Amino acid sequence: MNSEPTTLLQGTLDMLILKSLVAGERHGLGISRRIQQITGGTFSVKPGSLFPALHRMEEEGWIVSFWGDSENNRRAKYYRLSKAGLKQLEVETKRWGRISWAIAQALEAS
Amino acid sequence: MPLSMKVRSFLRNLFLSRRVEADLDQEVHSHLEMLIAENIRAGMPPFEAQRAARIELGGIEQVKEQVRRERIGIWLHSVISDCRYGLRRLRKNPGFTAVVVLTLALGIGANSAIFSMVNALLLHPYNFRNLDSLVRVWEDRGIDEGYDARFIASADAEDLRSSGSVFEGLTTYSFQSFGLGTVGDVQPILGCRVSANFFDLLAVSPAAGRLFSVAEEQPGGDRVAIVSYGSWQRQFGGDPRLLGKTISLNARVYTIVGIMPKGFDYPVPAELWVPLALTPAEKADRTQLSLNALARLKNGVSVSQARAVLASFSHRLELEYPKTNAGRTTTLLQLRKELYMFTLPLFLLLQAAAGFVLLLACANLANLVFARMIGRQREIALRAALGASRGRLGQLFLSETLLYSTTAGAVAIAASFASVRALRTSIPVGWTKWVPGWDGIRVDGNVLAFTMLASLGVGIFLGLATMLHTGRVEPNKTLKETGTGTVTRGKRRVRSALVVAQVMFALILLVCAGLTIQGFVRLAKVYQGFEPASVLKIEISLPQKVYADNVKIANFYQQLLRGTASLPGVQHSSLITNPPASNVDNETIFFSIEGQPALKASETPSADLQIASPDFFDTLRISSVAGRVYSDADNADAARVAVISRGIASRFWPRGDAPGHRIKLGAKDSTEPWLTIVGVVGDVRQNWWNPITRPVIYKPFAQSPQRSMTLLLRTTSNPASYASGVRDVVRQIDSGIALRGINTLEEEIADSIAIIRIMGVLMGIFGIVALALSSIGVYGVLSESVAQRTHEIGIRLALGANPRDLMKLILGQALKLTGIGMAIAVPCAVAISRAMASLIFGVVSVDFAILVGFTALLLFVALGAGYLPARRAIGLDPAVSLRYE
Repeated sequence: MNSEPTTLLQGTLDMLILKSLVAGERHGLGISRRIQQITGGTFSVKPGSLFPALHRMEEEGWIVSFWGDSENNRRAKYYRLSKAGLKQLEVETKRWGRISWAIAQALEAS
Repeated sequence: MPLSMKVRSFLRNLFLSRRVEADLDQEVHSHLEMLIAENIRAGMPPFEAQRAARIELGGIEQVKEQVRRERIGIWLHSVISDCRYGLRRLRKNPGFTAVVVLTLALGIGANSAIFSMVNALLLHPYNFRNLDSLVRVWEDRGIDEGYDARFIASADAEDLRSSGSVFEGLTTYSFQSFGLGTVGDVQPILGCRVSANFFDLLAVSPAAGRLFSVAEEQPGGDRVAIVSYGSWQRQFGGDPRLLGKTISLNARVYTIVGIMPKGFDYPVPAELWVPLALTPAEKADRTQLSLNALARLKNGVSVSQARAVLASFSHRLELEYPKTNAGRTTTLLQLRKELYMFTLPLFLLLQAAAGFVLLLACANLANLVFARMIGRQREIALRAALGASRGRLGQLFLSETLLYSTTAGAVAIAASFASVRALRTSIPVGWTKWVPGWDGIRVDGNVLAFTMLASLGVGIFLGLATMLHTGRVEPNKTLKETGTGTVTRGKRRVRSALVVAQVMFALILLVCAGLTIQGFVRLAKVYQGFEPASVLKIEISLPQKVYADNVKIANFYQQLLRGTASLPGVQHSSLITNPPASNVDNETIFFSIEGQPALKASETPSADLQIASPDFFDTLRISSVAGRVYSDADNADAARVAVISRGIASRFWPRGDAPGHRIKLGAKDSTEPWLTIVGVVGDVRQNWWNPITRPVIYKPFAQSPQRSMTLLLRTTSNPASYASGVRDVVRQIDSGIALRGINTLEEEIADSIAIIRIMGVLMGIFGIVALALSSIGVYGVLSESVAQRTHEIGIRLALGANPRDLMKLILGQALKLTGIGMAIAVPCAVAISRAMASLIFGVVSVDFAILVGFTALLLFVALGAGYLPARRAIGLDPAVSLRYE
């Protein structure tokens, strides 16, 4: 199912979804578009990966869902960050920092 | 917090699944609509916008299935729905379901029934606390004394008890027959004299009353008795005020001080216990091995450690008391394993045979399930197309096969209550009373657990086999195909392997069954050398108090013989210590031959000792080989004589001149009198477990009277009808004597090999079931593979192939598979029958006729299974077979 322009690293999708929700609640398509936007179009998340991730994260308690009206008055399911989710984002961000630093180091070594 | 969240999600997924599903459906749909709207805003025409949105989404059902897979507890939910689906399928195909469930129930039920015996007889023969630490201890004199000659000298036992290095405790006991009751109404009862610590060592306490005290181990103070629950019920009518009452045992008064709980009958078949009160002389005795000993190992001491300690113990005794203890070793065996030499090979063989039946049933069903899977290929493909992963499909198969197997397990459990009862009651009482644990054969927790494990195992095996067989599903290809679908090479190989396995299991099982049945038939004919028909057998035991000396004993039996011989219809009346088929070994003795140099202890000849009255040989019609049998003239005042069996005569006097030579029981320098051999008689098989007839020395009863003898009567009509006549005769001589073990000799023989007969019947059933299962299985696979080649056969025929060559081709395939199965099975069967021959009485290793016979039978079945469908296919008009789907 990974037909994105760049394959997402395991665990990175969660971080990106959490990050996209920091600014406020969004529905699925909104999250997908936001990720596309903040990554400069590098990552596009297809529904086949997005929805399983959303439902799993909801069961983990990181995000909370509710039904609302979309911009053109359609019923849509919205997600927002919970306290646990905010904490998880911090954890994921730190972890990512470590990984990217480590990989950069590895690539610089001759 | 996260945990409570998870629990909430789990419960929501499980119980509000409909709402969760509706939610998901709406979410995905609204996502799609938003995508379309976005595309339209971007300027796409409506149709193009929808198409692009659907491509981006990637299939509504597939997305939903992927979300479902992420949910907590979804696994359980899907199992429930799979089971529901499975149940629907079960109900929709009652015929198929019945075949599968009944075949499996048969296989599983056979295993649980046999396991109930293994469980009771091998694993839990006694329900004592910490059974594995209880050991039987005895002294071995280096001669074959039979399994029940496991005795210890009382002084040696006392030394062992006080040395106390490996044992937490050691107790001694000895069987004794009692006449219970007062003159005129005496019942025989088998009792046991036990040391005061006997019950404590076994960790049992009385249901009522008390145990014996150490003071009651003194002669004179020992007139107390404890009765078993069974004897309390039978002999004393369950009298609630039995404690404190007195009873008469062998004409001595005993006070009942305790009643043991239900089910306690150690050592079987004792029903009454009295203190083992030894006189100081008896206590100091090292000559006679007279006591049974039972000990409990200290915590953490292994059997092999204890054995090593006992070896050095007996070595010390040898040095200290060379006169009595030379060549004597003390050894031990776990109590649980005491009867293993009889029970282990029998029941392990049965369990293995039942296991083979189950394997055959599984192989058959795997075939059946595979055949149906071909019909379900489109359903499976559709499921895969809708997003079911391989694991998810596996779960579906597994829940279906587990449903079958657990239903079968439930049927098997229900049936096992009846079959286990039938097994328990099919064994004659004469056998069961000697086999501890027989009462424990029932469907208990262990048997239930075993049955459940077996059904789960079968279900998982079948499910995994189906999964492997289905392999990779290619929905694209399968869904486009028409007709019944195809079978790939890999699948054909799986099914060929099944044919090979079935042929293999069936052949091995048939050979084992054949050998067992043949072994039984051989055992049934084992009691040769005498004529058991029309002989009545009665055991008599005279109480020691009244019959204190040989004159009194001889008088009683003389009157008895005279009285019974004059009963109308009695041809011969005689006495013997141990009649054939008694399931008890004879006393073994060493003997010396006059005029031959003294031999080393290990080379001293040994023989069974029997004491018989002169008419014994005529009563059983044992042939006289040389000389004469002794007569009434060889009485207490006459010269000492003996009759020997042909086995001894041909070994030491091969020229047939045995009569006239003299032998002595024991060593040459012993005080025993010399016995003149007056005659040689034919060999008689004593018990079915004796591999060969044993050499026997017969001494005349008049010259060495014994209190316990067996009366044998040869009669002209039904021997059982003479029992009351004998009872009258005995009552006239002494009304205080109890008769026991009244039975015809023919029935004794039938009872003594009953367990082998039951084995033979069970193995026969297993063998027939195996033959049926494997025939059906082999036929099914071959006929189907031919059916699948109908098309190919049509083309070959149309192109001018010779029908006979085609037949050869198909039969060749059948023969190849069967041949491979047999090539594996024959060496296995040979190895197994070798092992059986060494472990099971009566079974003779590698019977060529059985091996060849069953191989030919299976070959014939396989050829038939190939021939019938092949003839059908070849007989078809090519025009028809080419259209065959």
